[in-house]
Amino acid sequence: MARDTISRRHFMQGSGAVAGGTLIRLGMPAAMAAAQAACTARDEGAVFETLTEDEARELDAIAARILPTTHTPGARDAGVIYFIDTVLGKQLAGMLDRVRSGLVEFQAGLAGPTRFSALDESAQDAYLAERERSRFFGTMRMLTLIGFLAMERYGGNRDSVGWKLIGFEGHGAAQPPFGYYDAQYMEAERDGDR
Amino acid sequence: MAIVNRVEYALTQPVDFVVVGSGSAGGILAKELAVSGFSVVVLEQGPYREASEFTHDEFDVVLNSSLTGGRPSANPQTFRHDDDEVAKVPFRRNPAWYYEGVGGASVHFTANFWRLREIDFKERSVLGPIGGTNFADWPISYEELEPYYTKVDWEIGVSGAPGPFDSPRSRPFPVPPMPVKSSGVLLEKGAKAIGFHAQPAPLAILSRPLNGRPACINCGYCMGFGCEIGAKSSTLAAMIPQALASGKCEIRPDSAVFNLELAEDGRVSEVQYIDADGNQRGQKARAVILSANGAETSRLLLLSENSRHPDGLANSSGFVGRNLMMNAHATVHAVFEHRLNDYKGVQVTRIVHDLYESDPKRGFYGGGGFDARPFLGATPIMFSLTQQRRDRPQWGAEFKDRLAHNFTRQMAILCNATSLPLDRNNITIDPTHKDKWGRPSLRMTYRDHDDDLANARYMQGFAEQMAEAAGAIEQWSPPVTPSAGGAHLLGTCRMGDDPETSVVDRYHRSHDVPNLFICDGSSMVTSGRGQPTMTIMALAFRAAEHIAKAAGANEI
Repeated sequence: MARDTISRRHFMQGSGAVAGGTLIRLGMPAAMAAAQAACTARDEGAVFETLTEDEARELDAIAARILPTTHTPGARDAGVIYFIDTVLGKQLAGMLDRVRSGLVEFQAGLAGPTRFSALDESAQDAYLAERERSRFFGTMRMLTLIGFLAMERYGGNRDSVGWKLIGFEGHGAAQPPFGYYDAQYMEAERDGDR
Repeated sequence: MAIVNRVEYALTQPVDFVVVGSGSAGGILAKELAVSGFSVVVLEQGPYREASEFTHDEFDVVLNSSLTGGRPSANPQTFRHDDDEVAKVPFRRNPAWYYEGVGGASVHFTANFWRLREIDFKERSVLGPIGGTNFADWPISYEELEPYYTKVDWEIGVSGAPGPFDSPRSRPFPVPPMPVKSSGVLLEKGAKAIGFHAQPAPLAILSRPLNGRPACINCGYCMGFGCEIGAKSSTLAAMIPQALASGKCEIRPDSAVFNLELAEDGRVSEVQYIDADGNQRGQKARAVILSANGAETSRLLLLSENSRHPDGLANSSGFVGRNLMMNAHATVHAVFEHRLNDYKGVQVTRIVHDLYESDPKRGFYGGGGFDARPFLGATPIMFSLTQQRRDRPQWGAEFKDRLAHNFTRQMAILCNATSLPLDRNNITIDPTHKDKWGRPSLRMTYRDHDDDLANARYMQGFAEQMAEAAGAIEQWSPPVTPSAGGAHLLGTCRMGDDPETSVVDRYHRSHDVPNLFICDGSSMVTSGRGQPTMTIMALAFRAAEHIAKAAGANEI
């Protein structure tokens, strides 16, 4: 799996406050802090608990085109495949069979090689575009987005990669101004312009 | 957590009141009656969760529906637009959407807290009849309800400041409005540019400590989540502790009512429910109050049919379950150059009520109010799944770049609007499906009136103008389509003076069953312009006063 680790690391260093730290520092209830501490985002190379190695490789390849790694991190950097592996064994176990059979059908539609992961990226994108209205693709898109942005305790969003990408600074207490326009407004009020 | 009751009543000893449901209305009625000295048992189908149990876990709360009764596949309701269809169980979310647990929907609601205006109570008289609808005046006026709105302001806790179009209030807001957010600033700018008037949003969220409860910490998890510090003015935070402290109120969570038993004398004698262990129980009562929300109150009455009430209890009018109104709505999404970070803080800080009143010149009935908010974009997963422009790539590098750019720069202008009461929009019993307790499932049939959709589209046009005038660099408007479910469950057991066209009288007493009272969203005669909870709570305070008076005078 080729990946742009340098730009990923650069991105991590350049990003804002770490969500978990904000949460605890601002004195959120103990249950929240405990949930954060118990997060189980899995490191790369961890063993899969629900999926077979083959399934995981293929689903990972699909997720990696839905949210590709570019100059910013994507599904692979967030460990989305580990989220999928986790929830299909637990919270979304009822979907496992559908994902499994969907994958078989998805692979069966390939013209050349029998594995999606063996295609080059542009061929992968072309094939996904063909299948983008299928139920299987819809499910994979949903799982990829959730895995990218859910709490780490579900196995993905490793190191809050997804949250950092979109600028979500965590969910602790906050003080106004929150953004540019209310800051301007407050300033104008202070200066007596309003 | 287990609830700690200071009193426990025997099933076979009739209590003064059984209240079914502990939400916006039930929580208030239980507290008011218990504090007045009556013995009260509250039967709540959902669990008791303390504030400290609420999390920000979007996957669990939103996608697993952990606070709202579970996923439809595990706890089905059914939906159809028209009565010639077979109603289906939806995939993601049940059509009658409510928090299941002590405190009811006041726990997870957004906390927009508009009073109705004088016009809402007498629109039918002012505008005339609307053919093919059950459009009617309320049996009460704004003036009659005003003292109870004020009671809600002070006892439940409402932040805000008066606006230019508000009906008169007898007392100021107890705490000032929440600090304005970027979305509110931009709405105000857009409104001003087109000659409209923005005002601070009244919210059931505390900006300052009140009644021993803390002020909001701006964590941003209001809509769809429970407030873990108790700053949101749910009945769980504001009423339940007082009800319990009275020593006269026993709350039984995990108690799903399936039947109201009628005695020989035509009065309800017992409320039958399934307890936490799955056993059937019956609580004897002198009087019963249904406050289970507009959908569940209707289902329970329909399920409680008997030989004397073959079409459902208290349903001689045939109006039980009918006239469901969910408030039509429209949305405009807008992206701005700089960061709003609108995911922080409460959802709404500014509203615009210039189009509140219906105007016959438009050619359709309807009115509404605008607000600006992050909407479902307040939380990362729902932002990615629901707040995206459909005519742009839905995956790949460009999609990811849009997520990264827009999350902090996007907001929505919501158009909150009227619904007309119609026979065809209703709650009935599903013939096939059963809920997780084995009760026949709730079936919703709903298709918005053409005027409701026309009005929502009309408002959407003004929202687009405001977004543009505020300086949006990009905006898009999802098409207005017929609703397939909602959280505002109104009108299904309407109040009225005429037993032929209403279910309860002006004091919420059933026209048919003298010791049965119904008070929740179902009591509302018209829909208002969205944000019904303030009115439901005011009705509950008013009902409690009259019910206590009647009970004290031995007139129940």
